[in-house]
Amino acid sequence: MNLSKKSKWILSILVLGCISFYAVYRYAYKPHITIENSQTEYLGTSNNFIEKIKEDASVWNNKIVQLRGVISSKENRGIFLSNSIYCQFREDVNTSKLKKGQNISLKGRVIGYDDLLEELKLDQCIIQE
Amino acid sequence: MIKKIAILAFFILTQITFAQKYITRTGTTNFKASVATFEAIEATNKSTTVILKTDTGDIAAQLFIAAFTFKVALMQEHFNENYMDSDKFPKATFRGALKGFTIDTLKKEYPLLGTLTLRGIKKEIETTATVMITEGTIGITSNFTIKPQDFNIKIPKIVRKKIAKSININLNYELVEKK
Repeated sequence: MNLSKKSKWILSILVLGCISFYAVYRYAYKPHITIENSQTEYLGTSNNFIEKIKEDASVWNNKIVQLRGVISSKENRGIFLSNSIYCQFREDVNTSKLKKGQNISLKGRVIGYDDLLEELKLDQCIIQE
Repeated sequence: MIKKIAILAFFILTQITFAQKYITRTGTTNFKASVATFEAIEATNKSTTVILKTDTGDIAAQLFIAAFTFKVALMQEHFNENYMDSDKFPKATFRGALKGFTIDTLKKEYPLLGTLTLRGIKKEIETTATVMITEGTIGITSNFTIKPQDFNIKIPKIVRKKIAKSININLNYELVEKK
């Protein structure tokens, strides 16, 4: 390579600029956290989870949980487990086959305890096989 | 006389049983804080709980701050951690009423008055809401603006120009009769 010292400098600054731009871009536009890739912080039955909630609900805010239980009722965009855990499904989840009384295992995020309706709310739920 | 009392009692009792509640768990609350030339700053919460008492027009609403979703994940992270402290103040609540609400009018605008609590700070809100009544459902749409400084939300100088001075809140709730 017969590059002059000056052009070598310019070239390396350009490359460095590109790399740092890419790094900043990757950081600023990193993908959303998905439920599939998140670590489960509670795994168990919905009935047992209710007992945990009664102790202190707020510690579970924003935690990813995986619950098994019987569908106690079905709503438009979600279902109830054990009568007082409302699980809102992620929008791409097909819920048409779900029925009241059916056993289900799902993974979702606890958003918090809704004291207006006195129930725990989960969102982003996906069905686990 | 007894008959009259019985009739009166009947009317009072039926009035009580007809004092119904309409609710939703999946109401949509959206906000926009964008400034034209910069990247859009907006987010949507699709799990807002709303309760409307149809006899009085009383409304109670509640949402979780962390359930707002942004297009840009980093923006969502900053919103929760730096601006809203959603760990410390997980909820926003609204208590108020649709003034003069009646379930008999199918479509009407009502004054919506109440108190918004955000980050533990209360603020009176005055706006109008459009109410659409169909069989078994009540649709409520409304909007209002709030200012970040009213709720002690500190915006660093470096991004001040990118975030609107007043933030538009849009509500779109479809309530169904509570059985």
